Amino acid sequence: MTNAATHHPTDETLAGYAAGTLDEARRLVVSMHVARCAACDLQVARYEAVGGALLELATAVPLRSDALENALRQIGDDTVPPGASSERDPLDRYELGPWRWVGPGVHQRSVSVPEADGIKVFMLKAAPGTKLPHHKHIGYEWTCVLEGAFEHQFGRFGPGDFDEADETMEHKPTVCEGVPCICIVALQGGIRLQSRLGRLLQPLIRL
Amino acid sequence: MNVYCTAMVEFDPARLITRIAATQDRGAFAELFMHYAPRLKAMMMRRGANTDRAEDLAQETLLRIWRKAAQFDPGRASASAWVYSIARNVSVDLMRRETRAAAWLKEQGEPEEEDLDEPELHLLVAEREGLVRATIATLPHEQLRVIRLSFFDGLAHSEIADLLEIPLGTVKSRIRLALQRLRDRLGELK
Repeated sequence: MTNAATHHPTDETLAGYAAGTLDEARRLVVSMHVARCAACDLQVARYEAVGGALLELATAVPLRSDALENALRQIGDDTVPPGASSERDPLDRYELGPWRWVGPGVHQRSVSVPEADGIKVFMLKAAPGTKLPHHKHIGYEWTCVLEGAFEHQFGRFGPGDFDEADETMEHKPTVCEGVPCICIVALQGGIRLQSRLGRLLQPLIRL
Repeated sequence: MNVYCTAMVEFDPARLITRIAATQDRGAFAELFMHYAPRLKAMMMRRGANTDRAEDLAQETLLRIWRKAAQFDPGRASASAWVYSIARNVSVDLMRRETRAAAWLKEQGEPEEEDLDEPELHLLVAEREGLVRATIATLPHEQLRVIRLSFFDGLAHSEIADLLEIPLGTVKSRIRLALQRLRDRLGELK
């Protein structure tokens, strides 16, 4: 884990992540950032400490009389010995689709997060120097950079950086020179291209 | 002297988890189970599971604790924070999260407030984890309430605003103030 990231989720987002209140799409994108950012990982740990304290203070609810017996039987039958399960990449539980061309210099692959409320998750790969079309958001667009970098009016976003955009923001990102930029994106409601040409091309760009 | 407080001092969950990892100690598991499963059941019920389902989810959480015991790092997190994070994952993995109407929670009512601010608690539980608990117990009621609705009951900030019929900004500022206070009192929360 590095501390290279300079753009982070808001505290509210990290609190929601720790509490388990984010939808699956946003949770995945936030987890990709947290796995790459020691500062946010620590912040999440602080919130989890609060959750743990509340758990200790909770009023216990009685269990069925055979609950412990059942649990002991389950761990007795358990074929997975303690310690066998290891931390996995949050992406491991999802299928990644093939890279598909979606526009000049830009490829996209699907991430098999079940689509709910018009939210979808995908990865984008854009060649160095690519100017992505000027766009506005219909809902939110949360992005975590995995490789390479892009730039827009709010700064430069490199590996691990997190970009939280909503419908109040307009974006005109440019991919930085060097290596292709690969991001994971949770997008709600799609985007709206701002230029006349963009609007003509919109049906072709399957974002 | 409060019996519950005395029990809390003797109960050392971090050691129990370490013992599970080292020797697959079923006695240690049973002790953890008896302490956490009833509290986890409460948490799952607050998160919208019915009694039976909540108990299954509490069982699943303990089973994951058994399997993941070797991953627990007492230097990074307290036992209760680690158990909480596993329970949170169980609830997001296995409960289909439906946006619960404020009406649903109103019907449930709020759990009875325990008398948290006991001097014995401050004296007895000097270890860090106890300090978090003791400090939480000193939060003003309205801050403790939003913190609990958020981290224990798993409500989004907007849902808390609906439930309490207060502006979203008020929810956010109460949570911020509570966390600020915890940080002021505790330095690094671990």
